[in-house]
Amino acid sequence: MANAEWEQLKEALRKAPTEEARKAAAEAMRRYLATHPPKSKPTLVSLGLNKPYPTSIPLEQIPGELERNPAFFEQFRKIVEEG
Amino acid sequence: MLALPLGDLPTRSASGFLIRYVLPRSLPPQLIGPMDRKQPFQMLTISDAIIGVGHGDDSSFCGHNNQVVMDILSIPNVKGKIVILIACETAQLLGPELIEKGAASYIGFKDDLVWVVDADLAFTPWSDKLAKSVMLPITSCVNTILDGKTTGEAFNTMQEYFSRNAALEEDDLIRSCINFNQKNAVLLGSPEARVTARPPLPLPFSLIPPPPILLPLAS
Repeated sequence: MANAEWEQLKEALRKAPTEEARKAAAEAMRRYLATHPPKSKPTLVSLGLNKPYPTSIPLEQIPGELERNPAFFEQFRKIVEEG
Repeated sequence: MLALPLGDLPTRSASGFLIRYVLPRSLPPQLIGPMDRKQPFQMLTISDAIIGVGHGDDSSFCGHNNQVVMDILSIPNVKGKIVILIACETAQLLGPELIEKGAASYIGFKDDLVWVVDADLAFTPWSDKLAKSVMLPITSCVNTILDGKTTGEAFNTMQEYFSRNAALEEDDLIRSCINFNQKNAVLLGSPEARVTARPPLPLPFSLIPPPPILLPLAS
């Protein structure tokens, strides 16, 4: 069952990746992560090649990447929309 | 043939699950870690199946240290073979080209293959509970093929396993990754293709995990 923070993150990612929208999405991701205190070192990975975003990023660094990288914002939105 | 690079966290995780659950029942050649390079990959395609983990894009598939081992302009002999590429985006151009060049069946992904791993478990990736929800369905697909069943059955096994894991998953992000990969999984070519059945995972491999992977991990 999705929690409220997750729904807020999905909503924040629906906007075009303007600087303001990326900041809002980063803040929403921070709030979501705060509800999921990590027990280990969770890292989002992919098997992409020469991507304009990292193929390995610790979850705690996702807000910062959302804020500064429109390409990551777009790809993360595609993933989160499925949830 | 198995191609299993181990150089970074994503390849280490995906290859780790195949090392744990597939490697002991597969036939040589097996290109593992630094051995997964273009020349052996192109020459050692004597098996009836090519099963590879690696970074990829729409037209390329990579081995160790992201060396391109196969792309749409350099496809080895794939006639009649089953090809499974555990990589990003190869279903867009490379997969169709493999079928064009005579592969019987191809299974891969048309967008990023994404999942969450526990970076603390990079030396024993098969024990990573975060990665299991995505990696076990893929491993199960490969094993269904090695059981001698058709690629259509193997693909359905993977998709049903993804659905089960998504329904059970409590973490929103991991569930999104499962659904994203399920949506982007692709089977091309004949769904009736199959290979000679291999024996099941022998003892002690079915009970005892492999020793830790001590190769260094790229940062």
